[in-house]
Amino acid sequence: MRSDREQTHSNGAHPVAVSAAGLGKHYRLGQLRSLKQTTGRLLGQAGAAGPGVEALDDVDFTVARGEAIGIVGANGSGKSTIVQILAGTTLPTAGVMRVYGRVLPLLAVGLGFHPDLTGRENVTLFGSSLGIPRRTITERMDAVTAFAELQRHMDTPVKRFSSGMTARLSFSVAVQFPADIYVFDEVLAVVDGEFRDRCLKEIRHLHAQGRTVFFVSHSLNQVAEVCDRVMWFERGALKQIGPSDIVLPAYERSLTHER
Amino acid sequence: MTLPSADPNALGRGPDGRLPPLEDPSERVIVPAKRRLKLRHLPRQWEVVRVLAARDFKLKYQQSLLGPLWLIFQPLALLGAFLVAFKGLGNVRTSNEPYVVFTLVGLSVWSFFQASMTIGTASVITNLNYVRYTPCPRPAFPLAATLASLPSCAVVALAAIVGAVVTGHLSPRIVLLPIGLVWLFVLTAGVVGISAALAVRYRDVIQALPFLLQVGVFVVPVGYSLAGLSPVVRTIVELNPLTGLIEAWRWMILACYDPRLAPIAISLALTGALAIAGWRIFSRLETTMADEI
Repeated sequence: MRSDREQTHSNGAHPVAVSAAGLGKHYRLGQLRSLKQTTGRLLGQAGAAGPGVEALDDVDFTVARGEAIGIVGANGSGKSTIVQILAGTTLPTAGVMRVYGRVLPLLAVGLGFHPDLTGRENVTLFGSSLGIPRRTITERMDAVTAFAELQRHMDTPVKRFSSGMTARLSFSVAVQFPADIYVFDEVLAVVDGEFRDRCLKEIRHLHAQGRTVFFVSHSLNQVAEVCDRVMWFERGALKQIGPSDIVLPAYERSLTHER
Repeated sequence: MTLPSADPNALGRGPDGRLPPLEDPSERVIVPAKRRLKLRHLPRQWEVVRVLAARDFKLKYQQSLLGPLWLIFQPLALLGAFLVAFKGLGNVRTSNEPYVVFTLVGLSVWSFFQASMTIGTASVITNLNYVRYTPCPRPAFPLAATLASLPSCAVVALAAIVGAVVTGHLSPRIVLLPIGLVWLFVLTAGVVGISAALAVRYRDVIQALPFLLQVGVFVVPVGYSLAGLSPVVRTIVELNPLTGLIEAWRWMILACYDPRLAPIAISLALTGALAIAGWRIFSRLETTMADEI
């Protein structure tokens, strides 16, 4: 067992979970459609399309299976864009990303739920939208309910949930369904205390099981707690990627320098 | 800040030091693309379409006093309007069939189309959060809206069939009705796909829709027969893809109904064209929906 691990480490034959090469994402700025813009274009005015911004610019990285990778950076640095591309909600405008395995993304807490549906119906809907078979969803329902501590509320419409209950259900779905790559985008900021600790523990548990974890956060302590390696984004570019105990202090120094 | 060193026992290996088998062993290559969905991926979305359709149907009648009874009241009100407008005032000739049965057949098709368009056009926009934050396959939204409208069609069609039986006009061609239903579904899903995709980019579609549907009911032969129209008006009405479809449905349900072939052929051709256009337009615009919505 031990030698097996050493071998895969030494010869670099790590199976890849996610790799990116030359990845870029260009956004147009300003209002997408407006009467002003339409008339401007009809009258042949140049520049009616407005300026653009590179949310991601020529990003290369490889994440091995079983790694827990942290993503840090200022607002608008490209952290969310990278996980949105990984989750499949948006496409890059340059380069290529290769993904091996099922991705289970939690991109926003509670926003993937329909307020009029019950907790149980929402879990089914979320699971099936990820392509998880109905049988697996039924099997995992109890685990989801138990982790969210919502046993008495699963048949209540989510609009009657408190924000804490919605957040717990969100998390529970994101960690209790089987997947190969788990993605958390700045989601622990909204839950507090005991439940956040349980989530962190559960994320570390997924990692210990050999699942790949992408963890986006502003909380460097949480990143340090969860991740082996960290990617540091700055204005759309991957500034640094490496072990947590090297990248995080460097990033933290840059924050204090800016102030 | 203190950095706890990584737990050496949690280096991304299972308890026995091996990686767990992949839940989904396929490789996904994400590149810039104008279109990423393939038609063969569509059957895989059935499950989520089913769940979304059940949700759409449930929500339509939730927190309403009459609930699904609206399925009956709405077409009943329309039928009353047609009776007054065309039978009471215009005295429209509908060959040998009882007017109510004749109209109910047209109404079943129109109710379905109208209900699908109303929910379907806004389906991507109303599911904003799913589009932004989940990898939910986007064609599922318009497809589910169309599927959820089937009860509107079924209730009226059933009334038409019962009416045909009672008045002794039921045709044995009724066995062909499932084909008619598929035809109706494909045509409607195509149009809904186009309008739903365009509505994300141009909200004008949402503004124009109620008006278009109101005008639409007059160029669909729901409450009048083609035979009573002047040649020019008839040509216009026959170019409507729903016209030939309704004529075919009447031929399937009513025993001595003898429609002209031209509008049916036109409708079949347009159904194919609209279904293809619906898929092409939706799958093309789908890639940018999360950015534009």
